[in-house]
Amino acid sequence: MCQCNCHGPKSDLSLLDDVLKEYAGSSSNLITILQKAQNIYGYLPKDVMYCIADKVGITPADVMGVATFYSQFRLTPIGKYLIMSCQGTACHVNGSERVTAAISEYLGIGNGETTADGLFTLENVACLGCCSLAPVIMINGEAYGNLTPDSAVAVLKGIQEKEGK
Amino acid sequence: MEQIKITVNGRELIGEKGETVLNIAARNGIEIPNLCYNGKLKLYGACGLCLVEAENSPKLMRACATVAQDGMVLSTNTPRVKKARKIALELIMSDHSGDCVAPCSLNCPAHTDIQGYLKAIANGDDKEAVKIIKEKIPIPASIGRVCPHPCESNCRRRLVEEPLSVAYLKAFAADNDLASDAPYTATPEEATGKKVAVIGGGPAGLTAAYYLRLSGHDVTIYEAMPEMGGMLRYGIPEYRLPKAILAKEVAAIAKLGVEMKNNVKVGKDISFEEIKNGADAVLVTIGAWKGSSIGCDGENLEGVLSGIDFLRDVNMGNRPEIGKNVAVVGGGNTAMDACRTAVRCGAENVYVIYRRTRAEAPAEDIEIEEAIEEGVEFLFLTNPAEIIGKNGKVKEIKLQIMQLGEPDASGRRKPVPVVGEFKTIAVDTVISAIGQKCAPSGLEEIELTRWGTIVAAKSTCLTNVEGVFAAGDATNNGASIAIDAIAEANEAARAINAYLLGMPMDFPEPYYSKKNVTAEMLADREKKARAVMSVKSPEYRRNNFDEILNGFTDEQAREEAKRCLECGCHDFKECKLIRYANDEPIAPERLAGEIHQSFKETKLVSIERDQGKCILCNLCVRTCKEDAKQSILGLVGRGFKTVIKPEFEGSDKIEVCKTCGKCVDVCPTGALKLLK
Amino acid sequence: MRIVIGEGSCGIAAGASKVHKAIEAVMTANEPFSLGSTGCIGMCFLEPIVDLYDGKTLLRRLVKVTADDAVSIVEAARSGDLSKVDSITISAEDEEFLNRQTRIALRHCGLIDPVSLDDYREADGYQALEKALKTMTPEQVIEEIKISGLAGRGGAGFPTWFKWNAARQSVSDTKYLICNADEGDPGAFMDRAVIESDPHSLIEGMLIGAYAIGACEMIVYVRAEYPLAIANLEIAIAQAKKANLLGENILGTGFSCDMRIKAGAGAFVCGEETALIESLEGKRGMPRLKPPVPAQKGYMDEPSNINNVETFANVSWIINNGGEAFAAMGTENSKGTKVFALTGKIRKGGLVEIPMGKTLRDVIYGIGGGIRDNKEFKAVQMGGPSGGCIPKELLDTFIDYKALAATGAIMGSGGMVVMDESTCMVGMAKFFLDFTALESCGKCVHCRIGTARMQEILTRIVKGEGKDGDIELLEELCEAVKDGALCGLGQTAPNPVLTTIRYFRNEYEAHIKEKKCPAKECVDLLTYSIDAEACRGCTLCAKKCPAHAISGAVKQAHVINSEACIRCGQCVNSCRFGAIIVE
Repeated sequence: MCQCNCHGPKSDLSLLDDVLKEYAGSSSNLITILQKAQNIYGYLPKDVMYCIADKVGITPADVMGVATFYSQFRLTPIGKYLIMSCQGTACHVNGSERVTAAISEYLGIGNGETTADGLFTLENVACLGCCSLAPVIMINGEAYGNLTPDSAVAVLKGIQEKEGK
Repeated sequence: MEQIKITVNGRELIGEKGETVLNIAARNGIEIPNLCYNGKLKLYGACGLCLVEAENSPKLMRACATVAQDGMVLSTNTPRVKKARKIALELIMSDHSGDCVAPCSLNCPAHTDIQGYLKAIANGDDKEAVKIIKEKIPIPASIGRVCPHPCESNCRRRLVEEPLSVAYLKAFAADNDLASDAPYTATPEEATGKKVAVIGGGPAGLTAAYYLRLSGHDVTIYEAMPEMGGMLRYGIPEYRLPKAILAKEVAAIAKLGVEMKNNVKVGKDISFEEIKNGADAVLVTIGAWKGSSIGCDGENLEGVLSGIDFLRDVNMGNRPEIGKNVAVVGGGNTAMDACRTAVRCGAENVYVIYRRTRAEAPAEDIEIEEAIEEGVEFLFLTNPAEIIGKNGKVKEIKLQIMQLGEPDASGRRKPVPVVGEFKTIAVDTVISAIGQKCAPSGLEEIELTRWGTIVAAKSTCLTNVEGVFAAGDATNNGASIAIDAIAEANEAARAINAYLLGMPMDFPEPYYSKKNVTAEMLADREKKARAVMSVKSPEYRRNNFDEILNGFTDEQAREEAKRCLECGCHDFKECKLIRYANDEPIAPERLAGEIHQSFKETKLVSIERDQGKCILCNLCVRTCKEDAKQSILGLVGRGFKTVIKPEFEGSDKIEVCKTCGKCVDVCPTGALKLLK
Repeated sequence: MRIVIGEGSCGIAAGASKVHKAIEAVMTANEPFSLGSTGCIGMCFLEPIVDLYDGKTLLRRLVKVTADDAVSIVEAARSGDLSKVDSITISAEDEEFLNRQTRIALRHCGLIDPVSLDDYREADGYQALEKALKTMTPEQVIEEIKISGLAGRGGAGFPTWFKWNAARQSVSDTKYLICNADEGDPGAFMDRAVIESDPHSLIEGMLIGAYAIGACEMIVYVRAEYPLAIANLEIAIAQAKKANLLGENILGTGFSCDMRIKAGAGAFVCGEETALIESLEGKRGMPRLKPPVPAQKGYMDEPSNINNVETFANVSWIINNGGEAFAAMGTENSKGTKVFALTGKIRKGGLVEIPMGKTLRDVIYGIGGGIRDNKEFKAVQMGGPSGGCIPKELLDTFIDYKALAATGAIMGSGGMVVMDESTCMVGMAKFFLDFTALESCGKCVHCRIGTARMQEILTRIVKGEGKDGDIELLEELCEAVKDGALCGLGQTAPNPVLTTIRYFRNEYEAHIKEKKCPAKECVDLLTYSIDAEACRGCTLCAKKCPAHAISGAVKQAHVINSEACIRCGQCVNSCRFGAIIVE
């Protein structure tokens, strides 16, 4: 366990023990450690980053620099459903902007934001590589292709129904 | 070590194998601009300013990273390199939000270092303050009293509550200095043997003479009037500027060795030709001494005076007979001086005739206020239609009633007559104070504008005559405020000095970084009211010419000076970025866009960071990591949104950052500041 | 009989897993056929695809299969009566999509089970490795690659042998061979397809490279967005290790080399080799100054060689078939084949591998079937954010590094996004600048601020706020960024702008001077109105309009209140009479 005296809600740092045991030996593993930490916590809480810095033997500024450089890392918690809206070229040519706008408007959130009920987080992402299905969104790993603004909103409505919202 | 030879800008340089181009050039005195290089740190290559062109290479190369090869032929100043550097600087500047110089100084025509002298005053060092002021204004006690202070109108403190009392603080410091045992005196440079003749001893003439003398030249001022000072002496009334104070400041200039010849009118007592022949350069600062006429019937009657003549006569001790009822025409400061002087000369009813309303009047509001206190009656929205006389002497003035119409070119609403509505008042004297003109005589070979002013080139003040310069009210757009004349005189002195020493007379406008500041950004500042100047009561004032202002107490002045927000960058004089930005003209405005807002962060407690000024050269982060071995600072985010932030856990901040100050030392701009 | 389902990412996204489950659900024990899966077949426009094999012989290729087809597929496989699946069998025309290709890098894709080492071995897998390790010296390997003329398929087209040789020459006990699988170019996915569908071919190609340069470790830097690729590669690595194809004393030859995967974390700039190295070292992916090049000082300051996936995928074929066979294909300065990801407004999109020297027209019309929805071809974007848009007039340009570079575009990694008349070219330039500005690492001034300023100017142009002189300002910035940016990302970022200005300057001018978007794509420049003659007053558009900007009585011509109109285009989609006019 780390001796972090950081502010904010405390994370259960013991969950990191295995990851740190395997990777903390070299700072070149920092990205891998952060990826695994994000898998555990859903995002990268500050105390977790401080703890990683401590164990890897680098400073919090170094960790923060890496965590904010890569778009995969999130410093705030995400919703139950992560909507990844593909911003690839093929999607652009096939009207992804309108799809994203419709999702944004329907959920009332912008890029990187989470709905108040904690159900959805919207994230614009680089090409998902399903270019032939453009425009594409991916929700919790499942791809939805050939979307129109209406069909994209219908997908969300389906999830909301399933969740009883 | 193996030696190699490279050629930079045609010069052959010797370097060691493995050395970079940048280092070899630097060691040989050729500075290749750079903002992110530091020999102690690992190479980084971010700023792109050190691009150089190599013979036989299609691409520009970064001098900081290019290891010199024997026989390399490089240029650091080809058009391509210059263009690349220019746009790199423009890009950097387009995202650099900071004030090199405070807005007060930028808006002072003479660009006086106001922040500097206010700080000195706040520290109780009046002599230092005067020294700073006298870099631009040789007569601060006088100017501090009369200046309409554009500095104060632009003082950023007005966004908090009220601007600082900049102008009078200047007079305060200068008064104290004059009263001290050893007033500040500058030392002239070694004599150059060059002679300069200055025609006219007003603020412009005195200023130019002062700085030319300090540059080591022999200076003679030819003044037509009995004393030096020009309009300060003969236009401004005693109650605003006691002549004894002006005299002391003139004497200090004379003491430096400026020769002053009073009662010498060029064209009458001495010819222009003679002056020219006796000097290596001539500066014409003859001012604008002719009042504009009203342009209505009866303006030639006895009892119609020009404001300037009236004030001059009173200042010379020849009070004209003005009777009990006096009308002053005009809404500017000369009109105020005239009406208030009329009160002091014993007039019982003094009217100010002005065709617009108080809001449009160019006079300082405080002047109008004080004139009203002294009993002057303002007839706004009236205009002289006719001056009616009896036996050739003024008896009445007929006024056309006006109203405001559409805005004119100046943005002010244009006064238009209300057809058929007039008003007539009985007057003994009409004083016209609606403008001044320049009336040069004896200078026939100098080219004039169609308004009769002298044509003088911008920034060099050159006239059409070889070796003859001109500045002040007599030039171009004509009469303005004293500080404008002083500003021009500064330029004239700089140009004449260059002319005399055979240096290039090319004075580009300096480039300054400026930032937009809103009241919200200053919302956290503690409010502290402007010092209130005590003045003599209106009752006391009416029948004498004593100075109205009682001045600040010492405590008042120090506290007032401490109100300064210190808007100008602390690092301006050492800033590498602004130095490069002034090497060649740049125009970052064309690339204007999103900027990193100025944001002062003090997480490091004893070091303040301003994100707006940061250019992301990353020197601080690299120094903190590589040299100080701390890694407290780091980059956060990526792309345009990248910022630099300290990051550490725990609350005992001081213990984390040792305040070694290395980051502050390496910062090429003023983004980092060591707090005392 | 075997039923084989194409389950690459694209297939799965199109519903292949659902088809798989549905077929499983109708299968009983002891069926006379087996069910398996393969990777990406490359005909994305026909996904999900199910193949029916007899042994190695493909009997039927079923396309656009849905879960509802499961019963008939199973019945056909049981009975051998393939007429049951006639309705979903691929057309002769669509078969041409594959028939016209020459597949080397993709040679196993869609044919083998990606996670079966046996499948790979049956398809001559690891024979090249054995040949190299047992019969060739590293120098001979490099020589063979030199003969082949193989050049970097990641974009720059640098000769592979030269990099290998440089790394070989660098003296060190520790050298690294790195595979750049950070396929960041939006619109390119061939590297993903190779790793997903044929991971062993990557391992084999890399091993041969490692042997050539003398590397002791191989690292594959894969985008984190490619989970299936990572999973399949992990399985393949484990299989290879178990089979003594990886690790200590490979195949008893004394050559040892290990391999690991490093997942990227989302940064396009990490496709730049020095940024990739920084990222591998656990740092921010900010490019380093070159020199030193990675072959001298790379990962952990040791000599390193970096190639991309497609490059490695060609290596074992070259060793097996000889460099000359590879060099026999292509043009004077571009040898072999190249894979393209054909997408956009194309009728048949997917992965296309053809010999160098074919024309763009061959790919777009010959294989891709031309433009969708009977629209006009306008341009093809090649090389992604580093590339450019090639107009109709240049459709006969050869696929060749030099010929493509002459157009202002680049070969790039092979993204080929086709655009029709409805694509605004200024909008396209803005799209790429949005991308590069977002992905700029922020290190150097030119890229950090230069791309941001270019993006701002393009944004104001598409909003109708462009100013006279903006085109020239863009050109000036482009030149400056090309000259001054630190790495390839920044230096090539201006290409999409420069090529669109070069070929479509009139579109820029229309936006700036007339405030019109000729492609009718820039929303801020459009006005919607209703043709009173054509309108039947069906009220559908008024009901659809989210801004309530359309009014009118039933059976009367409707009107659009242009102040309230948000230009969403819903009315156009809803109108059955073509009465909405967009200008």
